[in-house]
Amino acid sequence: MQNALNSNEVIRFDRVGMFFEGEETALRGVSLSVAKGEFVCIIGPSGCGKSTVLKLIAGLIEPTAGTVVRPPVVSMVFQIGSLFPWLTALENAAMGLTARGVPADVAHRDAMRALDMMGIGAFASKYPRALSGGQRQRVGIARALAVRPDVLLLDEPFSALDARTTHELHEDLLSIWRTTGTTIVMVSHLIEEAVSLAGRVLLMRAGTVEHEYAITLPRPRREQAGAFEREVGVIRTAFFR
Amino acid sequence: MALRHPHQSHHHTVISYPVSLWQRFYSLALVPLLVVLLGAAVLKFLAAAPSAAPSTMTWQHLLWALGASFWRIALAYAISLLVAVPMALLVTRGRWTERILLPFFDVLESVPILAFFPVVILFFVRYDFFDGAAIFVIFIDMMWNLLFTMVGGLKTIPQDIKLVAQVFGIRGIDYVRRVQLPAITPHIVTGSILAWGQGWNIIIVAEVLHTYLPHGVPTQDLFGIGSVLVHASANGQTGVFMAAVTLLVIGIAAMNILVWQRLLHYAERFKFE
Repeated sequence: MQNALNSNEVIRFDRVGMFFEGEETALRGVSLSVAKGEFVCIIGPSGCGKSTVLKLIAGLIEPTAGTVVRPPVVSMVFQIGSLFPWLTALENAAMGLTARGVPADVAHRDAMRALDMMGIGAFASKYPRALSGGQRQRVGIARALAVRPDVLLLDEPFSALDARTTHELHEDLLSIWRTTGTTIVMVSHLIEEAVSLAGRVLLMRAGTVEHEYAITLPRPRREQAGAFEREVGVIRTAFFR
Repeated sequence: MALRHPHQSHHHTVISYPVSLWQRFYSLALVPLLVVLLGAAVLKFLAAAPSAAPSTMTWQHLLWALGASFWRIALAYAISLLVAVPMALLVTRGRWTERILLPFFDVLESVPILAFFPVVILFFVRYDFFDGAAIFVIFIDMMWNLLFTMVGGLKTIPQDIKLVAQVFGIRGIDYVRRVQLPAITPHIVTGSILAWGQGWNIIIVAEVLHTYLPHGVPTQDLFGIGSVLVHASANGQTGVFMAAVTLLVIGIAAMNILVWQRLLHYAERFKFE
């Protein structure tokens, strides 16, 4: 039953290997499973293969060894929003829908809904140039949500934002996760970010998943300073081992 | 369709839709096509224009000449746009096409057009299509600027933008019209400005056909601002020469202000930061 998902699973990796010609091995025998509605965060030093895992889930690349089972609709949020500068916020958010042939009026209605969810409906007719970094990233998330993905992937989405904006977006992301039930897999390089958001943290190193941590603290987590710091400390020790 | 996003209360119903991508794509292909068609009609009309070196030159003559030259360049420009856009897309399609085509274009570009001239002109002259010869020369001269600026533009599309397109399933012709064409819009504008500069430059030579034709081939010079300049200077008509240069400068300046400045401004929106 290697290729079938369990009823509760949305993503499964079976001994996945990824070799790029002339380069060091990107992934070695990675096996993992993500359940429906989970919020998983992948952390690890740069070059550990965490972005490769996201690309495999997104179907941007195929594994050179093992099998990857992924759901039909996967969308992704990129580091700096990566909006098309010639499209308005609304058109950017609708892009994933129109690309699949959804009629423009329906696509724009759904995109508008996604922009509203991200609290930037008022900026629908603005071009990316006129938006702040945080607003652009909100449009980027709205674009990913508009297609109603089975899995939402985020590749270090807050790394270019200031602390306050990052905090606001963390809150929004959690609220969207709760209300939509979308499965989220996020790559981060910040242990604190991972512990404050995810239900499960995967620590990767040299192309393998080295440790897994289930985070069971009730949210909001940063407010429970002691327990939060303990979790972070455990992971940090392993991270900088 | 059942929606999975539950908390929706208000809708923004008034949304301004800018020109759709389809329209942009259409206009990009249609405008040059229209120019070519219209230009062909104008050329037919021009065939009845006065000869290149009338004994007396009036302002009206000069304006007429400027218009004739403008149409030759416009026609050559439209053709070069129609050729350069697909070529640029082809070159950047993959490593393979780039490796084979780019060096080939590099060599072609460095072949002087005027060395080409007698060979091609003979072909057109054979069929008494003198305008064809001139337009061909202008077209070749204009195309490389467009082609190479577009190739440059296509190669600088950010990796993230390409990934976005991939993630959201934008590929094939969709990728061309939704990503590549908008992304190279600023490059098309700057390439066009360079190309028109080249065009005005070469027109002075291109209209005076007899200078490159092998001896004894029957031909006639084309009526236009280029040939007017050459004849005026050859015949010592300083007044005509000065008037023609002034008109040419005014024409080019007007085009810069009315067309290029606006297009440059418009193209700003298409730039990646």
